Amino acid sequence: MTATELGDGSTAQHMAELDAQTKPSRDLAVEIDQVTYSYPDGTEALGGVTLDIPRGEVVSIVGPSGCGKSTLLYLLSGLAEPTAGELRLNLDRNGARLPLSMVFQKDTLLPWKNVRQNVNLYFQLKRIKNSGLTERVDHLLDMAGLSEFDRAYPHQLSGGMRRRVAFLAGVAPHPEALLLDEPFSALDEPTRVGIHQDVLRIIREEGMTAILVTHDLAEAISMSDEVILFTARPATVARSFRIPFPRERDVTKIREEPEFLRLYGELWRALQEQIRGGRSAN
Amino acid sequence: MHRRVETIGLRVVEQLSLLAVILLLWQYLPEIGFLSHRFHFMDPFFISSPSRVYSTLIDLATGRHGSILVWSYARRTVESALIGTAIGIASGGLAGLLLSQGPYLSRLFQPLLLVLNAIPRVALIPIFVIIFGPTAKASEAVAISVVFFVVFFVALEGARSVPSQILQNAQILGASGFQTMRQVRLPYAVAWVFAVLPNAVAFGLLSVVTAEVFTGTVGMGRLLLISSSTVNASLTFAVVAILGVIALVFTIAAEALKRRVLHWWV
Repeated sequence: MTATELGDGSTAQHMAELDAQTKPSRDLAVEIDQVTYSYPDGTEALGGVTLDIPRGEVVSIVGPSGCGKSTLLYLLSGLAEPTAGELRLNLDRNGARLPLSMVFQKDTLLPWKNVRQNVNLYFQLKRIKNSGLTERVDHLLDMAGLSEFDRAYPHQLSGGMRRRVAFLAGVAPHPEALLLDEPFSALDEPTRVGIHQDVLRIIREEGMTAILVTHDLAEAISMSDEVILFTARPATVARSFRIPFPRERDVTKIREEPEFLRLYGELWRALQEQIRGGRSAN
Repeated sequence: MHRRVETIGLRVVEQLSLLAVILLLWQYLPEIGFLSHRFHFMDPFFISSPSRVYSTLIDLATGRHGSILVWSYARRTVESALIGTAIGIASGGLAGLLLSQGPYLSRLFQPLLLVLNAIPRVALIPIFVIIFGPTAKASEAVAISVVFFVVFFVALEGARSVPSQILQNAQILGASGFQTMRQVRLPYAVAWVFAVLPNAVAFGLLSVVTAEVFTGTVGMGRLLLISSSTVNASLTFAVVAILGVIALVFTIAAEALKRRVLHWWV
């Protein structure tokens, strides 16, 4: 059984109960067990990934480019099925929260909808109307600094603002887990760092579990509770790094702290090792 | 800003001067006996002249000198073109949207549609005349058969042009196939259709006039038929001028509508 079969509530619940008996210590939102994935052409993207994502944490995945980081998010979102192994999503199934949503690397804004309508996309697709919705969207727009632009159309926005809107559209349905597939990679660094603070604050406030795939090590460290380093393709988990900064943090300030720089150096060397390892293996 | 206004003003002056030169040449070159004797088409009998066309236009507008009154003819052509174009756009857009849904339908219908599209639509006019008689309905049917295909292929392309991450996003958010079609594919298809609206309208008008020439039913096409059977070059040019004005108004209106609807299109 794979937990990507989101409709199969009873079995999933049963599995969750079993897990609760065997691993009572940690509350895990996502359990990835020996997951492999091969593309239809036979290329092996994931070669047995085992990874636990604790509930309410932000976990970043970094690794050599093209190593299959994004593929893992596609499996988690249910857009593809693992070739082998098990994915367990211990996410809400009684409908109070959307289990998960995803923020894509490429633009997903609908150009004929203004900012507010784009943030509202989920509710519009599902024809959900309730009284608190406008206030909720107002609050989100305010936290992302987009209040004045709620009637603007995507083509009138800067690249950074478009990314903020795409992020809010993923957050608005109040998902339990948020998958972030290199959502800020197309932005210049000052814009990117500016977004990080707001994104982290909203993730914490919404109580979401977030999985961030990125190639920016500084972004991974400043946003996460844990950073997972993947090997070159076919990817497995090479190492994980616990990030010692508090849950509420100033992402601009911590960039200058010695601990940040030390972690950055360690992560950088470990990544270089994986890139070299991947080359010699090929 | 001031300079820009000046440049645009200058360009308009230049364009009007060019028009004036052409009209003057058309008016006075055939008066040179040598030219009109030597070159057949330089004879005003064949090529008419701006003053003769103008006088014919006044005849058509007022019915003086026992002329046909043009208004009912023009109205019929405009009506047929609008009806045919509207139905063609709606049906072509809907068909394109439906076929964008899955590979099964498009694989089934595509060869048939490609062949139908390749047929010169004029060849279908006799069939429409057999079905509807020499009526406005036949003209409208011809316009539909032309506009349908113009719009169909564009709508299909538009609905298919939705970026894959947008469809994946809708899927993750739990949208059903129908919801995705209505809220995502349909707006893309509509946008592409509006982008070709000026072309569709022009094709609609062209088809109606062609059908009218063929059937001789009331309309601008019938005036063309009359002008050729009575060997009246001035009437031909007058009809061409009226059709030009109609086409221009159609295109400007379609362009304005397109800009209004697609204000978000970059």
